[in-house]
Amino acid sequence: MRFIEDFVSRFQVRISLDKNLVVKKQNRYFLLIEDLKRLISDDFFYAGTYIGKTKKGKFFPGFNLLRMIAKKKASKIVVDKKTEWLFICGRDIFKQGIMQVTGSRRKGDYTLIMNQHGECLGFGKILCHLDGVKDGVVIKNISDVGDFLRREK
Amino acid sequence: MINLLILLLMSGKNFFVCRYEKMGWNYEGVKPKQGIRINSMNAKRDDDVTKRLQSLGIKLEKIPFLQNGYWIRRSEFSVGATSEYLLGLYSIQKAAAQIPATLFTKLSDKFVLDACAAPGGKTVQLANLMQNMGVIVALDIKRRRLIALSNHLERCRVENTIVYQMDARKASGLRMKFDRILLDVPCSGNFVIDEGWFKKRTLEDVERNAKLQREILMEAAKVLKDDGEIVYATCSLEPEENELNIDWAIKALNLKVKKINCYGEKGLTNISGMQLDNSIEFCRRIWPGQTQGFFICKLVKRACTR
Repeated sequence: MRFIEDFVSRFQVRISLDKNLVVKKQNRYFLLIEDLKRLISDDFFYAGTYIGKTKKGKFFPGFNLLRMIAKKKASKIVVDKKTEWLFICGRDIFKQGIMQVTGSRRKGDYTLIMNQHGECLGFGKILCHLDGVKDGVVIKNISDVGDFLRREK
Repeated sequence: MINLLILLLMSGKNFFVCRYEKMGWNYEGVKPKQGIRINSMNAKRDDDVTKRLQSLGIKLEKIPFLQNGYWIRRSEFSVGATSEYLLGLYSIQKAAAQIPATLFTKLSDKFVLDACAAPGGKTVQLANLMQNMGVIVALDIKRRRLIALSNHLERCRVENTIVYQMDARKASGLRMKFDRILLDVPCSGNFVIDEGWFKKRTLEDVERNAKLQREILMEAAKVLKDDGEIVYATCSLEPEENELNIDWAIKALNLKVKKINCYGEKGLTNISGMQLDNSIEFCRRIWPGQTQGFFICKLVKRACTR
């Protein structure tokens, strides 16, 4: 659980998950609603809300955890429509595609990537101080919802 | 040799087309339109999503007999490759396949079994109708299909579902009783969704599937609460998998057919001179046309009166 909190804190916010409602299946973590908690048995395959997995000691968040973070005053950038699609296709983000920045602008911090409808598309890592450059790649894509398509291949 | 002859006589396009004619439908080649269903749980309003899709150049047409369903009239690209799809605002689901989940009464706080759930279109639809409340237990037998189901649940932000790798015929092993059961059973399919259908299907396949479906129905009846509801659906046109199975379920499983009000024609009560229970006309048979072929039936368990 600590690693989830550590991950969330990289967006300059905190989320408290009820430990009793988080279940682990191999390396995957799920957040349950109370009704599911009462019923679940050890041999489940998927349950409730998928919040992420660990691999070689590193945490990889699910998109619903990112959505939960996005509801807080987390670091986020809003991108234009063209950049939205390029990001979903796995591309990094150019400064010109950013419409709005909230929270951290520091190099090395994580930031959520949002579209103009306020929907979370994934997250990335800030490559250089966002106020310090006029163009070029400024956010490295770490995870985007295009992953749902890539998983099918 | 005789078996081979029987097999040849009971297969092929002519054999099946002739059967359909005897059931009152004249064969016609059909190319059904692709359908989508707006996930009302994630989209504030259907209009928001349809406007966004139209701005991408996708032409939509409201499906008249569905609340959240739209046909794709024209699209230059796959509707499975848009931000809106990846954000779970809609699912790709054929029009007829959107009907079964809507037939249950009062779903919101119920305990629901989706016994043959993958790839999850109807599971997500159930979660939508339940507004993510109550509980859905979703089963499927194949691990590969469970991965597709799980991805679908994650993409569409479903929160009220537990998935188990399990054969629907062993559902009583869960030691749970359900208020509602969706049986979208494995079936022989039909020629609309499978171009090579007439070449590969025989009556023997149909009968094998019908047997499997009866086994699933029997298990479902065991785990259904008194006064609970089962919605049974197939995309097969063959009466063995549809009306004949329901006739069997009425007689063998103490189930009763409930009248439903949805798109489709009355179920057939006379198959090749065999008279079935009159209540089977309450089922719905959808011949290929506007949608693919489909069969739907709602069953309720009669409470023990002792």
